[in-house]
Amino acid sequence: MDKKIGVYICTGCGIGDALDVSALAKVATGEHKVPVCREHGFLCGEEGRALIADDISNHGVNTVVIAACSPRVMTDVFDFGADKVLERVNLREQVVWSHPAGDEDTQMMAEDYLRMGLTKAKEMEPPVPFQGENLSKRILVVGGGLTGLTAAKEAAAAGYEVVLVEKSQSLGGYLQTVHSVPPLAPPYDQPHTFDLDGLVSAVTGNEKITVYTGSQIKKIVGAPCMFDVTIQSNGSQASERVGAIVLATGSVPYEADKLGHLGYGKHGDVITADRLEAMLKEGRVVRPSNGQAAKSVAFVLCAGSRDPEHLPYCSAACCVESLKQAKVLKEQNPEMPVYIFYKDMRATGNYELFYKQVQKDGVVFVRGTVTAVEDDGSGALTVSAEDVLTRAPIVSESVDLVVLATGMVSTASLGKPYKAQQPKEGEEELEVPADTILVSNLLNLEYRQGPEVPALKYGFPDSHFICFPYESRRTGIYPAGTVRAPMDYARAMDDAAGAALKAIQCVEMTAQGKAVHPRAGDLSYPEFFMQRCTQCKRCTEECPFGAINEDEKANPLPNPTRCRRCGVCMGACPERIISFKNYSVGMIGNVIKNIDVPEEDEEKPRIVVLACENDAYPALDMVGIRRAQYNPWVRVIPVRCLGSMNLVWIADALSKGIDGILLLGCKHGDDYQCHFVKGSELANIRMSKIKETLDRLVLESDRVRFEQVSITDYARLPQILDDFAATLENVGPNPYKGF
Amino acid sequence: MEPKYVSLEMRDYIVSMGAETVNWCMQCGLCTNLCPWRLVPGETSEKFNIRHMQRLGQMGMEGFEDEHILFACTTCSMCQSNCPRGVKIVDNVRAMRASIVGAGMAPANLRPILGSAHANGNPWSGPREKRTAWQQGLDVPTFGPDSEYFLFVCCHSCYDPRSTKVAQSIVKLLKAAGIRFGVIGNEESCCGESMRKLGDEELFQKLAQSNIELFNAKGVKKIITTSPHCLWTFTQEYPELGGQWEVIHYTELLAQCVQDGRLKLAPNASKKVAFHDPCYLGRHSGIFDAPRQLLERTADGGAVELSRSRELSLCCAGGGGRIWAEVPMGERFGELRVMDAMDKGAEVLATACPYCMNMLIDACNSLGKQEQLEIAELSELLAAAL
Amino acid sequence: MSDVTNGHRSVLVLGGGMSGLSAALEAAEAGFPVYIVEKEPFLGGRVARMNKYFPKLCPPACGLEINFRRIKNNPLVRFFTMAEVVNIAGQPGDLDVTVKMAPRYVNEKCTACGLCAQAAETEVPNPFDYGLSTVKAAYLPHEFAFPLRYVIAPEVVGTAEAEKIRAACPYGAVDLDMQEKVFDLKVGAVIWATGWMPYDASKIAYYGAGRYKNVITNVMMERLASTNGPTKGNIVRPSDGAPVQRVAFVQCAGSRDENHLPYCSGICCLASLKQATYVLDQNPQASVTIFYIDIRALGKYEDFYTKVQSDARIRFVKGKPGEIWENAETGQVTVQVEDQQTGAILRDAFDLVVLATGMVPTTADQKVPAEAAYDEHGFMLSAQPSGGVIPAGCVKRPVDVASSVQDATAAALKAIQAMVRR
Repeated sequence: MDKKIGVYICTGCGIGDALDVSALAKVATGEHKVPVCREHGFLCGEEGRALIADDISNHGVNTVVIAACSPRVMTDVFDFGADKVLERVNLREQVVWSHPAGDEDTQMMAEDYLRMGLTKAKEMEPPVPFQGENLSKRILVVGGGLTGLTAAKEAAAAGYEVVLVEKSQSLGGYLQTVHSVPPLAPPYDQPHTFDLDGLVSAVTGNEKITVYTGSQIKKIVGAPCMFDVTIQSNGSQASERVGAIVLATGSVPYEADKLGHLGYGKHGDVITADRLEAMLKEGRVVRPSNGQAAKSVAFVLCAGSRDPEHLPYCSAACCVESLKQAKVLKEQNPEMPVYIFYKDMRATGNYELFYKQVQKDGVVFVRGTVTAVEDDGSGALTVSAEDVLTRAPIVSESVDLVVLATGMVSTASLGKPYKAQQPKEGEEELEVPADTILVSNLLNLEYRQGPEVPALKYGFPDSHFICFPYESRRTGIYPAGTVRAPMDYARAMDDAAGAALKAIQCVEMTAQGKAVHPRAGDLSYPEFFMQRCTQCKRCTEECPFGAINEDEKANPLPNPTRCRRCGVCMGACPERIISFKNYSVGMIGNVIKNIDVPEEDEEKPRIVVLACENDAYPALDMVGIRRAQYNPWVRVIPVRCLGSMNLVWIADALSKGIDGILLLGCKHGDDYQCHFVKGSELANIRMSKIKETLDRLVLESDRVRFEQVSITDYARLPQILDDFAATLENVGPNPYKGF
Repeated sequence: MEPKYVSLEMRDYIVSMGAETVNWCMQCGLCTNLCPWRLVPGETSEKFNIRHMQRLGQMGMEGFEDEHILFACTTCSMCQSNCPRGVKIVDNVRAMRASIVGAGMAPANLRPILGSAHANGNPWSGPREKRTAWQQGLDVPTFGPDSEYFLFVCCHSCYDPRSTKVAQSIVKLLKAAGIRFGVIGNEESCCGESMRKLGDEELFQKLAQSNIELFNAKGVKKIITTSPHCLWTFTQEYPELGGQWEVIHYTELLAQCVQDGRLKLAPNASKKVAFHDPCYLGRHSGIFDAPRQLLERTADGGAVELSRSRELSLCCAGGGGRIWAEVPMGERFGELRVMDAMDKGAEVLATACPYCMNMLIDACNSLGKQEQLEIAELSELLAAAL
Repeated sequence: MSDVTNGHRSVLVLGGGMSGLSAALEAAEAGFPVYIVEKEPFLGGRVARMNKYFPKLCPPACGLEINFRRIKNNPLVRFFTMAEVVNIAGQPGDLDVTVKMAPRYVNEKCTACGLCAQAAETEVPNPFDYGLSTVKAAYLPHEFAFPLRYVIAPEVVGTAEAEKIRAACPYGAVDLDMQEKVFDLKVGAVIWATGWMPYDASKIAYYGAGRYKNVITNVMMERLASTNGPTKGNIVRPSDGAPVQRVAFVQCAGSRDENHLPYCSGICCLASLKQATYVLDQNPQASVTIFYIDIRALGKYEDFYTKVQSDARIRFVKGKPGEIWENAETGQVTVQVEDQQTGAILRDAFDLVVLATGMVPTTADQKVPAEAAYDEHGFMLSAQPSGGVIPAGCVKRPVDVASSVQDATAAALKAIQAMVRR
């Protein structure tokens, strides 16, 4: 676009008192020959805004540079429409509020920031949204159990078409053999009979919902709003185009065969909870050994769960499920002796009231490790345990049945790890943190990175984010229910509705060419200048969301609607062929090149700080808001994610005489805080490559430092910046100054 | 360690004896940790763990028969009124005692007390005909058609020389207030509250029946009790046995009289007075204010609150049959109570229960603090203020 | 799909905490206009007062920053602070909501430059710190406050000091004549996400909260540990500011108790496990004891429990403590409890006792001004009478942050359904 730049310097909030504003203005009018440059004492006020609006509507200004407060504030005031280019120069929080007024260094800092902003403004273009072809807003739900049925029903009720695929011949999943569910409503003391038929007919009877039973997903190709799904039904094949996917394939009980220490397999009357549930449903609870009705029952909880030998996690629902089964038995025969052996009774929320009711019913609760399940000689069983409460080993009276509350195993965890193809001869192996993708035959995605949604710990394809529990690592695919995490019926139903909404949201945003979380609404997307691609595969390997496929020649095949716009691919590309309309390697490179580097004898080192815009950058604002001070040699450049850092920036900076580069990224590792999953970690990996650059330039490795900071580390930040500055003083000036 | 065996039969037996809520217990342990026994040293304190005792009950396991465990509880209800599960812990204790005593295994030291209650209708080995001895020199009206209230005097105040002053003071006060009341006399029997707590269900039933028949035969409608223990059993236990009257503790009645001006009290006690809430008046019956209102009228030396008062009041250790227990010095709750009073600079420690008075006097004497602290029953202070 | 002008297609969300923000943003990003109505002068609610989330130990400000950016970038989201809903009339899909907005005495001209605070002298109790600190009568609710705008405490309005404050603002942002505003909004659905309050621990007489300075609650602990808290993040004894060596956590302080909150508050176990790590991170020589009935760490939270358990400096004692005493001289507080594992009666003195107090739904005393169904503890039922509002988060059941967000996302769908049904 043909740009007419207007620069607007606010002198309010102390800026005017701290800086020589006319000198600052000369940077725009002189160095950069900006046609329009105005000052105002209260730019965010009506008058100030009117000033700008007038220049836009009457004087052709279409590129606005606001030199005032942080881009994090006054966003609504300084919004002039998507067709305008807007750049905010942070003179307030990061210059005058965090550095001494009237100081030469403070002035230089402000002038640099204006230069940097102008450079960016010149290079930015208004983004043009990506438009795919024959977009679908239909929702695919994989799995026809409680979660899947609920998701389908809820999505349809919001007006969306749904395709539901269920492996078995009938809908309902585990619920089909369930007698009742724990209480869902006050007074929370009675099991609840779940109306599965009602739910099933609500789905089958809904013309918005297409149901495939006895079917599986053979393959899924494409991307949000353009997923082409091949469904393998017995014999036949069907294909459907959908916009987003809810993965609701649920879980299976932990293999009881592995629980010999609890008598399973040894004694015929040691059974699993799901077997008991089925018997309750059939209406006759019997001893498998002799077919006689069971007159007494003992439950053993955490059978497999909370056990490093088996499932280290807690299966979340078994305590309350066992309470429910015990309650049902007591309702059928109040005199029946019933025992529950437990570790901790995990009846959260109002389930506590249910727990009390079951105690009132006379169920015996034993707290502690079960040490033996033995034949009492008469064919019945006794259970021994170390009872913490009695403070002694105890032995139950003889019981007819021992029920093992086996835990939940996600269907997504049932599969061998998938290894993306090995690098060909001579290719170096990238130490990119590989996703765990288990070939569980649920979605069979034709993604270069693997056929399923990456799994987190224990094979759950869960979100790692507490604040954003639906963020799987595959755009447009939302796991829900017990495939995602162990949970009870009530939670699964809510979870299904939530996942349905995320799917709906995804198709709505994608249809407008907008990004989904975390850069929701972003219209920019990466474009590839293929002529210069060397097929190095770094972009496909490093994309945290598996957005980029590869053709047989290893050319990247981007899928913009899978993309989250983090720029990791842009940072990864050694050929710098990936760029966004408003964010590119060249742009940031030029921003760095436009930093004014004083001569060595001026003893004013320069430090480039590449800061994650979600955490480190706001933290730097906080330093200013608290009026804390830090070294004035730093020049902060916000980046979408530190993973978008391209090594060439480091080279550019160093060869220009910049003395040091500080990378401020999010915590990585097991409890990573990077909102693009791997960006921060990838930046850290690239640090190892930086050494090569430094060696080539014969520079000290101390000149580049990586620090993990969170948004609340603002109290530490001045120290971090000052320490790095001190280090650079010791290292001495960058010899390339002036070249 | 030898394994213990669960016996649901035993558990159900204990439940049938009155431990209806023993299964509700989730074994959080708050009871054990709020128990006044935690405040003193000694064998009983070490052995008695109410949480564990109930656990044994839940599991139908033996191990609670030891006297130091089974008969330790003073039924003060500190645990019960704070129990997160609303477990009727005192009933459970009573039921577990009953499961032993009912089988004729009452401990030796309790046999004479239970025996006397059987024979004389009072646990103090006092002959029936001496029940009215305390009335000497007082013209105490006999309950008749024109009496509004029947004054039921606790056995303790009928026979214990010190305690008779309580009965006498109350009579003076009721007269001064112009209350139409009367006593029945020798046919009255012990209310049986403590007998039942000791686990002698049979004895309690016998005493209760004879009282109910007697009172009803005399046409009793309203009862004034001198002791909170009689008050509690009359209001909480007698009704289901057929004894349904309007029952009131003397402190409540007198507080009303003072309110509506029927009873005038002239402040005289210049000493600083503290009030000890009897468990059966306070936590068990919810009466906290009436005694305090009365106290204010007499004590112009000022009334002070003990650090542990009202709902958190510390038991005197006289309830649940413990009044008959031999407790070594240094292990008596009453001693802590005396110290509580002295910490607050009180010169008089008043209470409104003959058992409390009895226990506090023993404690005060065993500490040798008689000179510094006077133990009084509220009625005595009030009578002196007439 | 979205049509901003048609009120029947917009959603009103009451409560700007984690549940409310999530419900609003999820609906807005699905294409529906939303209004957020928040009673405090800032968005973020309870979580804004927290130091870290379990089990990742990451700062809530991080997720809030993203959510605030989602608001800034989305013209479909509008919000009102210091506001409440006083009436709801009409049918689902066609509701008239009356909103009452308290005066902030600071208008949109505020640049957050802070000159007003410099002019103010009076200190008022800081609601953000649960009264652990005070603020100037002209104050920014907290450093991360969104919107970044000052507030004038009503206490000083009408005084000479207020005039001084007004004069100090170069932008005419202080408006002392600001009045309470009442206005109506036409919306298609209402989501009720007013969250929870910590249970008043002083009601548990035998634990001495409120009487003993060094007996605090878990929400206060979050403030003590927060960099922007009353002690700049130093966990110290409120009695004398001394560093803490021995810290105790008392679980179920109010929860699972018929005399207080009969239900389990669900999150307190994990909150205490988390806060134990705060203590040890600051002082590796410190020791922590956690008194509990059951440790309820569901699902993968079990990993966090196992991790904390493996720390030798943290002791777990199965037993619910009885009375807590203070030693007036030393300020130490003694906890008495039976260690049920051994039967031993412990009487341990601590520098600080943290009561893991539970969640009370705000709807326990502030009901929805429309037909709505609650359980006896004041939680809103999932199934609401037709025409009823849609509950989300901790007004429904006591849950952790992730579950609140899930629930809020589900609530957003229910709201959308209510509107497309018309």
